[in-house]
Amino acid sequence: MSDATSGNSGPNTDSEQFGSSTDNNGPAPDSGQHAPTSEDGGTTAATGQPQNIDAAQTASAAGTGSAGGSAPSDGNGNAGAQAAAPLKPLTMENLLREFNNTMDLKYRDFPANGVTAVYLQYMIDADQLYRTLVLPFSGVTDEMAGKLLEQAIFERANTLEDAVYAILYGSAVVFSGDRAYKLDLTRSIGRSIEQTETETVIAGPHDGFVENIVENLALLRKRLRSSHLKTVSLAVGEVTKTQVVVTYIEGIANQEFVGKVTERLKSIEFDAIYEANMLVQLIDDNPNSFFPQFVVTERPDAICSKLTAGRVVIFVDGSPSAVSAPSSFFEFFTSPDDYYQRWHVGTALRLLRIVGFIITVGFTAFYVSVTTFHYEMIPHKMLLNLTKSRSNVPFPPLYEALLMETTIELLREAGARLPTKIGQTIGIVGGIVIGQAAVQAGFTSNVLIIAVASSAIASFVIPSYVMSASIRLIRFPLIFLAGIWGNFGLMVGIAFIVIHLSGITNLGSSYMSPIAPMNLKDWLDTFIRGPFSSLRYRPSQVKSPNKQKNKMRK
Amino acid sequence: MSEKLNGYHVAFIIVMIELDVTVFSLPRILAENLGTNGWIGLLLLSAIAFANLGLIHLFHRVGRGRSPFEVAEQSIPRLLLKPAYILLAVFWITIGSFVCKKYVLIYQMVAFPTTNANLLYVLLAALAFYLLIKGIYNIGKAMTIFFYFTVPAALFAFYFKGQWELYRFTPFLLKGGTEGHSLKNWLEVYTIFVGYEISLFLIPFAEPKSLFKGVYFGHSLTTSVYVLLIIVSYGFFSFEQLQAMMYPLLNLFSYIELPFLNRLENLIFTLFLFSNLASLVLFGWMALMALRRAFPKARKNMLELILIAASLGIGSYPKILRDSEIMLRVVLYLETAIAFLLPAVLLVLAVYQARGKTPKPESGTPV
Repeated sequence: MSDATSGNSGPNTDSEQFGSSTDNNGPAPDSGQHAPTSEDGGTTAATGQPQNIDAAQTASAAGTGSAGGSAPSDGNGNAGAQAAAPLKPLTMENLLREFNNTMDLKYRDFPANGVTAVYLQYMIDADQLYRTLVLPFSGVTDEMAGKLLEQAIFERANTLEDAVYAILYGSAVVFSGDRAYKLDLTRSIGRSIEQTETETVIAGPHDGFVENIVENLALLRKRLRSSHLKTVSLAVGEVTKTQVVVTYIEGIANQEFVGKVTERLKSIEFDAIYEANMLVQLIDDNPNSFFPQFVVTERPDAICSKLTAGRVVIFVDGSPSAVSAPSSFFEFFTSPDDYYQRWHVGTALRLLRIVGFIITVGFTAFYVSVTTFHYEMIPHKMLLNLTKSRSNVPFPPLYEALLMETTIELLREAGARLPTKIGQTIGIVGGIVIGQAAVQAGFTSNVLIIAVASSAIASFVIPSYVMSASIRLIRFPLIFLAGIWGNFGLMVGIAFIVIHLSGITNLGSSYMSPIAPMNLKDWLDTFIRGPFSSLRYRPSQVKSPNKQKNKMRK
Repeated sequence: MSEKLNGYHVAFIIVMIELDVTVFSLPRILAENLGTNGWIGLLLLSAIAFANLGLIHLFHRVGRGRSPFEVAEQSIPRLLLKPAYILLAVFWITIGSFVCKKYVLIYQMVAFPTTNANLLYVLLAALAFYLLIKGIYNIGKAMTIFFYFTVPAALFAFYFKGQWELYRFTPFLLKGGTEGHSLKNWLEVYTIFVGYEISLFLIPFAEPKSLFKGVYFGHSLTTSVYVLLIIVSYGFFSFEQLQAMMYPLLNLFSYIELPFLNRLENLIFTLFLFSNLASLVLFGWMALMALRRAFPKARKNMLELILIAASLGIGSYPKILRDSEIMLRVVLYLETAIAFLLPAVLLVLAVYQARGKTPKPESGTPV
């Protein structure tokens, strides 16, 4: 390609380069040649370089094709059906040229009937290959092979790109005469269903999603046996072409949100997607907000409840997390556990988490504010203790608090990065440093330790790790403000957070739902966990066309 | 702009704009101007405010949900309106600024005697700008949350159950005011309600059905909070004490002792930062609406920036608390007049337009 370009340094290099890529296919104008045969919407439109395929465009065709499919593997087949910008004809030679220098590409031919199969050796299931391809095609005649290829499992590949993606997603491409077929032979790669380590519950199912999207979708189907559960496959990432599956329940989810999610996923032009938490940052309404805007969870039961509540769920291949959209701020404070306990306990837990949130955000900052500017707020009985413990500390409360908060964050981060066994050591060392030594050395006061420790503990009460991390971060500006302007600064900080939160939208719906816009019915399943008989409606945020979820009478 | 404010949010907006720093001196103002059992006078004045809201409601009916600007522009040439818009905008941002400045000056007095009040004011103005650029729908959401932060503080009133005595109310009705009764005295009390006229400008932004339900509910809520606080103050302090104390509510709250916290006025007064910020933002929003009408082609966020810059300038003018109070009182008197006159004039125009020919309502919401 580069040769051709440099060789034909004609008057307009652009068209030369363009032509060069079709060079070895002969002189035929590419778009004209392929337009009639293309079945994909985006095929004729994208006449750019062959590799620079708009994943989103290709995905649209695949997506609509797979809607309603039931087998989890259908995503792959359809992902393979994506093709755009066909420039070279689909021949064995061209296909092999695309994959030159690829040691794991294998092909197998059957001399008796001239059938050849090409596949990536490590992507496919060898057993399936044997049963669906090797065994039936060995020693059969041309005619028989033709009949065999009429089976539904063989899907026609129309373009070179189509075939290339099929191979990349784990299919074999079977050539017979001038025709090519795709045969899905995907092998399940990665760990199988395991317990999630980030979101554990005491009572309730212990399985968690894994990196393998096939397993995840199977898990979902197993829990939600409804033909209304729709799965739409898209490919996201210019280079990685990561498979992303949008799922929703037809008739419960609002199509507007489904449309918005799909549209945003299609508009992603990013080279690589590795994780659901990364994906959400590319599609959320407010990328500069410090709060996560979509609930991301590894728990299948949670995801099922989101789906039945009318939300749209996104799975990303290679990520054990699934995204639920639209989400509200308070959704991050709920856990499946709440529903598995008696409703009184569930309610208490929810309130506890909100208290935890308040403590995390405000406790240390309030300590700094009070001990710097508002000593009169401390009752005199407590004041004696406090001054005694503060008297050894040479720093102003602001430095004292920042010192301890940073230490705690260091310990947490170190604990998170280290293997569990060493992590325990860190915990013990940290406990001693923070607990006793810091006070005895005159670095901090006892009361501050209580404030810092309780706000750290409180932050871990929040079930969503991402949200808990965001909340821990916003403590620091608040501590600063409290250290500079006391309560006034603290309130200014809180006002800023409130204003910021009010401005956040989530797929166009309010992030602060159900406080603003206010919906008292939703409060029953937000701040408290009402008894099931009272949870009669789906959340107002999702604008479900089917609002009622509980038709039982008491 | 896709969604409209519903009644709840309108109610919270009304509460938050009416509730501001003046509430801390309210029991004194009442004792000075109306005398004993001033809460009865307050209820009467609240009824007058209701009448004013009724006027706005009537305009809403007659004007068929058109925005006040549309109605005005249909009958009055733009050349005349433009300076009026600018004047109103300056006036409204002045009110907001004076309210906030007074709050900041009191805060300075209470907690930060050596901090420059203008510095604290800059913080508030920055927040106001941040909120103002988010549009009225998001302002409504923020007001709702601010409401939940602020108004429950009134529930501390029940803390005083033990010390509260009915006999401190005295059997006299509206006696003992420092200057006797005059229009000016009653007007001074009335100014604590100023702000409800924002409902006039909310017309195109709220759901027409629930708008006035929200407005009336919001105003009743404010009145009940006021009455609750006044009744507590009247039964807790003696009448003479009320007249002597500058900010009786501050004294009232400083009496509270919780096991972990004392001197709660530090916290509660700081919480009122939200309601004063709300006043600045909401008056600023009214000013913004007027300015948008005067300069429809202004760049995005430019008018908001100008308003907040103006607010910084205006807010820096009152240097001491006494000046600030006098200035605030003057603008509030004027605003009271505007609150009555504006809907009245608009109503006349709307009636005139409805009679003359069938009005052609502009489609869509005005910017």
